[in-house]
Parts: sequence; C-alpha cells; structure tokens
Amino acid sequence: MKKFFSLLLTLALVLSLAACGGGGGSTPPAADNNTTPPADNNEPAPADVTITVAALASGYEEAYPGMWQEVCDAFTAETSVKVNLICDKNLEDVIGPSMQGGDFPDVIHLATGREKGLTEQFIKDRNIADITDVLSMTVPGESVKVSDKIVGGFTDTSVTNPYGDGKTYLAPMFYSPCGLFYNAGLFEEKGWTVPATWDEMWELAEKAQAEGCYLFTYPTTGYFDAFLYALMYSVGGADFFNKATTYAEGIWDTPEARQCFDIIAKLASYTNPVTPAQANDQDFTQNQQLVLDNKALFMPNGTWIVGEMAEAPRAEGFKWGMTALPAAKAGGAGASYCWLEQAWIPAAAPNLDAAKQFVAFLYSDAACAIFAKGNAVQPVPGLTDNLEGDNKMFYAIYDNGADAAMGNFAAYEAVAGLGTVREVFLDPVNGLVNGSVTEEQWISDVKAASDQMRANLMG
Amino acid sequence: MRRSKQRSRFLALCVAPASILFFIFMILPTLNVFRMSLFERGAYSPTETFVGTANFKALFNDAKFITSMQNTILLIVTVTIITFFFAIVFAAILTREKIKGQNFFRIVFYIPNILSVVVIAGIFSAIYKPENGMLNSILSAVSGETVMVLWKDQPMVIISVIIAMVWQAIGYYMVMYMASMSAVPESLYESAGLDGAGRLTQFFQLTLPLIWTNIRTTLTFFIISTINMAFLFVKAMVAKGMADVGLSFMYAQKDAGLYGYSMAAGVVIFLFSFLLSALVNRVTAREVLEM
Repeated sequence: MKKFFSLLLTLALVLSLAACGGGGGSTPPAADNNTTPPADNNEPAPADVTITVAALASGYEEAYPGMWQEVCDAFTAETSVKVNLICDKNLEDVIGPSMQGGDFPDVIHLATGREKGLTEQFIKDRNIADITDVLSMTVPGESVKVSDKIVGGFTDTSVTNPYGDGKTYLAPMFYSPCGLFYNAGLFEEKGWTVPATWDEMWELAEKAQAEGCYLFTYPTTGYFDAFLYALMYSVGGADFFNKATTYAEGIWDTPEARQCFDIIAKLASYTNPVTPAQANDQDFTQNQQLVLDNKALFMPNGTWIVGEMAEAPRAEGFKWGMTALPAAKAGGAGASYCWLEQAWIPAAAPNLDAAKQFVAFLYSDAACAIFAKGNAVQPVPGLTDNLEGDNKMFYAIYDNGADAAMGNFAAYEAVAGLGTVREVFLDPVNGLVNGSVTEEQWISDVKAASDQMRANLMG
Repeated sequence: MRRSKQRSRFLALCVAPASILFFIFMILPTLNVFRMSLFERGAYSPTETFVGTANFKALFNDAKFITSMQNTILLIVTVTIITFFFAIVFAAILTREKIKGQNFFRIVFYIPNILSVVVIAGIFSAIYKPENGMLNSILSAVSGETVMVLWKDQPMVIISVIIAMVWQAIGYYMVMYMASMSAVPESLYESAGLDGAGRLTQFFQLTLPLIWTNIRTTLTFFIISTINMAFLFVKAMVAKGMADVGLSFMYAQKDAGLYGYSMAAGVVIFLFSFLLSALVNRVTAREVLEM
C-alpha cells in the first residue's frame, strides 16, 4: 500500500511538472493565425484572414491611448480583414522571441535608430518585403493612389529605400522635425536672440556662461543622430550629406567634415559638465530638466519633448522654443533633420497581400485623422494645416527657411568588431565632454570604421 | 532482488522529471550556443553561414571585448572581496555580540536583496545625482564646500557600480553566514575563552574555520551571479559604453545584427565563469573541520 502511494505521488509529480514544463515552454502565441503556412500567401480570402500588426506604443499612443486599435478597427470595417494588434512600449522584447522562432507579424511599425536596432537587423538581413507596388495601389475605401497621398521626396531617401535601388521597402509614417529646444521665455527676458550662425552661438555661450548657464546639454548620445545629420546638411549641403552617409572615400578629410567635427567638439566644451553622468536611460530626463531649470540653453530633441516633460517643474516664465541648427556661415540656411518612423512588412509575413492593404490603408483620410488625435503627423499633404499650439510652431520650422535633412547612414553588412553607427559616431561625444576622448582620436576612429563600413555597403 | 529493481525504478521516476526538464531547458540551449558561435547570422535571419572559428578570432582582436572582460574581472574581484569582508564581519558582530535591535539590522541589511535591479538603479540615481544628490550633498556638508563628483561619469563610474553591487549583495550573504555561525556551539567559545583567547582570536581560530565550507560554496555562487548582476547593474544604471561588461558586450553584438558573434562572446564568458569557479574551488579547498 505504501509503495503504491509513493508511486502514485511520483506519478502525480511527474505529470504536474510535465504540465508546468509544457505551459512554460510554449510562449503565449503572438497570434493564432501565425501558424498559417506562408504557402497560403497568394490566396486572397479577405473574409477570414486575420493579420497581425505590431506597432510601437510611443509618445503618440500615450497622448491618445487606443490610437492604433482604432486604426485597426477602421481597417477591419473597411476591408473585413481582421486585425490582431500588438502594441507595446518595448515592442522588440514582445515580438522578438516569437520572430526568432519563425513567427512573424504581418506589419510592423517600428522605426530605425532605436537602441535594439531591430529594424536595422531586418534591413541588413534583406528580410523586408518590397512594397514598391503598394505605392501604386489604391487606398482602401478611397479612389486615390497611395503615392498621391505621400508628400514628394518622402519615398526617395535611404530611410525608405535602404539599398539605393529605387525600390521602397519601408513605408514613411510619422515624421517630426528635430532641432534645438530652448526656453523661449528666458531669451525674451534676457533680450538674447536665437543664434543664426555658429559664430553667434559661441558668442551667446560666453554671455550665458556669465549668467551661470551653460550653452548646451543632450539627453543621451543617441540624440546626436538627428543633430549630426542636420549639421552635415547645413555645413556641406545635400551633396556632402549624401557622400558622408554612404561613407565616401576621403569624405572625413574634407574641410566640411572637419568643420562638423570642430563644431561638435567645441559644443562639447560648452556642454554642462554633469551631462555625461546623466546621459543614460535612467537619468536622461535630468538632462532635459537642465533646460527647464535654465542650467543649459539648448538641447537636441524632437517634438515629443513637450509631452514627455509635461509634468516636470520648470523655471518661471518657461516657454518651449525650437530652432533649426544654425547656419555654417553667415547668410547660409540652417537645417533641421526630419525624423521619420517607418512601417514595414517582414519578408516572411504569412499574409502578404492583406498586409500590403493595411499599409495602404494607413494613408487613408480615416487613419490620418485617428493618428492626428495622438499628434502623430504623416507625410500626407495638408495634415500640418490642422496642427495647434506648440506643434504648429515646431512643424513650421521648414517654412521658416531651414533646410530639411532627410535620410540616414547607409546600411552595411554587419561585421564582427566593427560596431554600430551610434557606437562609432555618437557615443564618443560623452568622452569629448568628460575629456576621456580627444577630438583627433574620435576622428581617426570614425575614419577607420567608415572605411570598413564602405567596404561592406549593401545594395 | 525484486525489491531493489522496484526501488531503482522508483528512483528513476523520481529523478526523471527534473533531469528531462534540465536537459531540454539547460543542456540543449547551452549546446546550441556552442553550435551557433560557429555560424554567422542575424537574430531574425532565416539563413546562416558556417564561419568556423572566425568569430572567436575576431573576438580576441576586438578591443571593446577585451575592455568589457577587464571590467567584468575588476567587478568580480573587488565586489567579491568587499562583499565577503563586510558580510562576514557584520554576521560575526550580529551573532556573537549582544547588540540592541539585532533583528532590525538583519532586516535592514537584507532588504536590498529583495529589491529589483530597476528599483536599485532608481535609488542610486537619486544618491548619485550630481546636483543635490544624496552623496554629493553629504560630502558637501562634511567638507564645507560644494562637492560636485560626477558619480556616473568617467572615471568614477566603475566605483559607483561597485558600491551599488556591494550594497545589494551584503545582506543575503550576511544572513547565510549568520545561520552557519549560530550553529557553532557556544561551549567551544566558552572553552576558548577559558584558554585565554580574545574575541579576534576566537573569530580567526574558531568561527572562520568552522564556517569555511559555507564560505567556499557561497563564493562559487557569488562569482557566477556577479557576472550576471554586473550586466544588470551596468545596463540599468549607466550609459552604454561607459562601463560595459562581458554580457552587455554580448547583447550589443546581438542588437548590431551579429548573433553568431554574440554567441561566441557567450561561449567565452561561459567557459570563463566555469574555469573561474573551478579555480576558486581548488584554491579554497581546506580540510573540513567537524564541530
């Protein structure tokens, strides 16, 4: 009897453990439709197709919770294709594991330039579906072609055509001008003018220093990407920008490049010294706080900053201001980088056709109106006319004479030991500020890495 | 005969669930790491190319990897020494000396251990804040002038990580040593006292040798966990590139689209921690004393 019991107990143990193991082993399925084999791709059966859409829950979703769900519902109402939405702040962590297991969502809204670099990895692997044909598709529910609903130029850069072969792989979604943010109230109070050239910037730095305020700070080194793009554009124009972002031979030895490096190095010397100590994911808002507290005049940032710091305490009379990067020489134009988020379809998406329909639908008036509720602006003609408040001022930056810089560093095959663009070009800025890296060291590292990146260019 | 056969069948059944799970979720993935380190692929790419030992060759020429391993070793050595010193001293004081509020101290020391790393990072972010941070304010008050140490910047950053890690780990190990110290019979101390041994002599001649087995085991634990904890702390507390450790290097390579390369880093770190534990085990081997 005793033996029988012990055997029974063990069996129960085995079974319960096995049950646990089974439960723990199978990660919650991202979507039940994902098991559909890719072979079914070419059978359009909209009625019972369910697509999975994975969208990053960024500041826009925070400003208008449920934004993405509403768009998905509108799509279902229009096309009767059901949508299973995955919307998360840490989207990479949510969809990453199941994608490693071979389960891909049909549409992913996730921009390049994020720390986890998921979109970049897909570009490097040539793992994104070609959506050039979507541009000539009709927007569901409307009689207009998709390409007619996208402002010219937005589907011509390396942001959407990463291989430079004229084919579009990533759909241009929300864009926002990046620039230098400052306390407009302080400038009025002190009677300072916003510098139009870098020389005026350095003069202002001395004036501010006398008042106990540093010229510059930055949230983290990651914010220098938009800054560097705009700087390269304002210093050398489109030609230099294109050569630099494709790592052209000898480009970093040109006087234009030298000027870019010098400006950043000089800016580093005028940067509030506490900045690098707070330039991490934990404390970066403290750096943004420096501007609110009048402890630094300018910081590079995007339009989301207003919402992000909405609750933060601030100096009396604080008023957000945003300016393009100053011109390289007197009489020149400033530049502002246009930060563009992308939506794209993984090459292994199970429902390619329905996914393309969804991407086309993102440009419909209905979808644009829903996105606009979250202050998300797509490159669709006429959308910026309806903006209000701070946003109106921000998006007017290009109307005020600043050049728009668009595009990014070209994709290159990943090579062991080479490092990412951010590691090579941007992270050393921390070192420039705290003195652990010299400008010459930084330049020579950039040159060495740039040569390797050129050798491994894709496309 | 029949009995023993039944017995071994029973034992096999008992051990089976654990070993099957261990095999599926530990052994297989580990073997897979070794296999993948010989290939090159992105984390999400459908194809992979065999590259042999190229990943390892590149790894040992990668200055970033060398630096991050140096940081890892620095953290392991310093954090282990400091944590063990304080854990043992505090444990000895709390068990051997009559102090008011012993339980209170025990709990206070233990609390950091139950906090998640994110919470600890938040706490230390307030402590290390350059302006009006706790640490800088205290230093300013003591020295009488404004102290502005940038704790999370070079060159202090690694020291800041060490302090946070020690703070987090002390309590757990202290409680472990308190448990084994209170198992040492009081009579031993009494007779040692009669023989004229002072407090310090008692500690070195009695307490330490009698809890040595415990120290040895925890040391191995600690070294392995420090490799992991160092990554969590560095990731949560400081900027990328300031004080990278082995595992943060591994993650960065994965994010850069070099899955095979990051697995190669994983293999090196795995072997490193294995060898280090073996080494520590050997070096600390002593004749086991019975109480």
